[in-house]
Amino acid sequence: MNVIVVLATVLFISMTLIGGKKGVRSFISLFLNFGVLFFMLFFMMDPAVNPIVITFIASTLVGCIGLFFINKVNSKTVIAFISTMIVIGFLLFFIVFISEKLMIQGFGEEETEAIAGLSLYIGVDFMKIGASVIIISTIGAIMDVAISIASSMHEIFKHNPLISKKELVASGLSVGRDILGSDTNTLFFAFFGGYLALLLWFKDLSYSIGEIVNSKVFSSEMLLILCAGIGIALVIPIATWINAYYLIKTKERSEEL
Amino acid sequence: MNGIVKKVRKCTTHVVLFYSILTACCITSILFVSYNYSFYDRPIAKVIQTTLEDTTKMADMHNNEDHLFTQRIVAIMQNGPEKGQRIHITNKYSSSGAYDQEYRIGNELFVSINPITTNTTNLTGIIIEVKRDKYVLFIAWTFIFALLIIGRKKGLFSILSFAINVLLLSFALDLYVNHFPSSLLLITSVCILLFTAISLLLVSGFNKKTYAAIVATLIGTFTSLAVAYFVIWVTSGNGLRYEEMQFLTRPYHSVFMAGLFIGSLGAIMDVAITISSSLFALYERNPHISHKALRASGMDIGKDIMGTITSILFFAYISGSIPMLILYLKNASPLGFAFSMNLSLEVARALAGGIGIVLTIPIALHTTLFFIKRKQAGL
Repeated sequence: MNVIVVLATVLFISMTLIGGKKGVRSFISLFLNFGVLFFMLFFMMDPAVNPIVITFIASTLVGCIGLFFINKVNSKTVIAFISTMIVIGFLLFFIVFISEKLMIQGFGEEETEAIAGLSLYIGVDFMKIGASVIIISTIGAIMDVAISIASSMHEIFKHNPLISKKELVASGLSVGRDILGSDTNTLFFAFFGGYLALLLWFKDLSYSIGEIVNSKVFSSEMLLILCAGIGIALVIPIATWINAYYLIKTKERSEEL
Repeated sequence: MNGIVKKVRKCTTHVVLFYSILTACCITSILFVSYNYSFYDRPIAKVIQTTLEDTTKMADMHNNEDHLFTQRIVAIMQNGPEKGQRIHITNKYSSSGAYDQEYRIGNELFVSINPITTNTTNLTGIIIEVKRDKYVLFIAWTFIFALLIIGRKKGLFSILSFAINVLLLSFALDLYVNHFPSSLLLITSVCILLFTAISLLLVSGFNKKTYAAIVATLIGTFTSLAVAYFVIWVTSGNGLRYEEMQFLTRPYHSVFMAGLFIGSLGAIMDVAITISSSLFALYERNPHISHKALRASGMDIGKDIMGTITSILFFAYISGSIPMLILYLKNASPLGFAFSMNLSLEVARALAGGIGIVLTIPIALHTTLFFIKRKQAGL
């Protein structure tokens, strides 16, 4: 029996038992996400298309699955979707700019063993693929923050329709700050766990600090972790402003009528 | 009234002071890494001139088309006995850039000087690595300022917990490498205890809901590890391709398990603290709320966060294998082979983490109820 199949079955059973219908839906959405990544991979293999554009399209699909499939289409999810896409667009620019400076595309010296025997001249732009890796790895967390802010601001507004725009913004920001800590934590530990072997490699081969900081693998890893944090932080004010603007606008419009 | 004004003013002066110190640190550190050439043993050169010498179009054995370029680089040595001299380097690169790189004017490079030319005026050499410290620092400061400006105190705490956890992990790995080479899982377990306590205490302070979350996280993490261990044992690891695990210097099985252990910890903490803090909030709003009602709303919250947190983990794990997958597939590897070689460990990690997240929901619920019951009995 295959480990992956057994683990997937265990996950499916526990999600169904604990989450009921919503659990089944979450499990299906994992599959759909995998499908999106699969297609993204195939489009990226064509040297004629720009990986950044493909990433943007894939993010849109992932956003649709994570927001509209799990939570249905309504003003909350639409706003969360818009704010996620704005942050992703911004992050893409930042990452492309910085990874050109850092020169971290492709594979590092430490990975030569893994790529030995493979032809490296395959015509696709590894710099842009690197940027896409970062975006895809943080999109889950960015969406989470966006939807949490949108639903709690809608909730506050529903219970207290006379609230001023300023108070609404303040409450949105404070909700965002609460999630900021736990979401950055989730990603930090996920990356630590993934790169435990790399850290051991540095220790075992007694790299100096200078060698670690300047190595391709470490700096791309740092870019990944830190950009994830920056993305999570950025979505907080953006989602808050859009929500406040929308809620106040709809109130004004209904008052005019 | 006067007191409040004073308090506000005092508070803002503290904040102003804090940010000025931080900005000063930022500027000095960036200045330092821009001129720290003499601190490196390895020779560093700065590119001042590049000329493209040759362009060839090529196709590899799988008919992938690419362009190969040769560039001549003139650079100036920045440190060591050759400081100030010019060095000539030839660099070959491709347009895909999987393992090579075009260099531009202003790039700083670690080079190795050809020993035959060291005492002549005509230095030649090869490029070893790019000097990246300046940009790593730049991103680190962007991260710190983004988190502080937007997250304020919470941002500060998450930066602190990140820093402390990194130091702790590094210290623990030192211990493992130098003193206890046989017990990675044991050391990781101790780390898990400390990581959980530090992160959760920093996020939500010393109170009952944090204690409930800590207990729930620990039970959840160890349960999910047990499940993963059991599944791998029952299937005798069938389908896991450890061959492609990178950077291995140690027995792969324990490194993989330890990584799995730490990797799902953050997500499990997230579930535990969300459930315990919302149940405590419900309880504090209405101390006579029935256990049944608490259990029902805890389950509802759990269902809401289950999907998003699993997908956070899923994306964080899977995305890293994209470049390697593309390389494999472009080298005409069969689809199944490329996927099982590059994705099996990541998918197993994501699934095991997902199981941990889901199992933590009832665990956190019951732990929190237990703490609430004790509080009620004490009343």
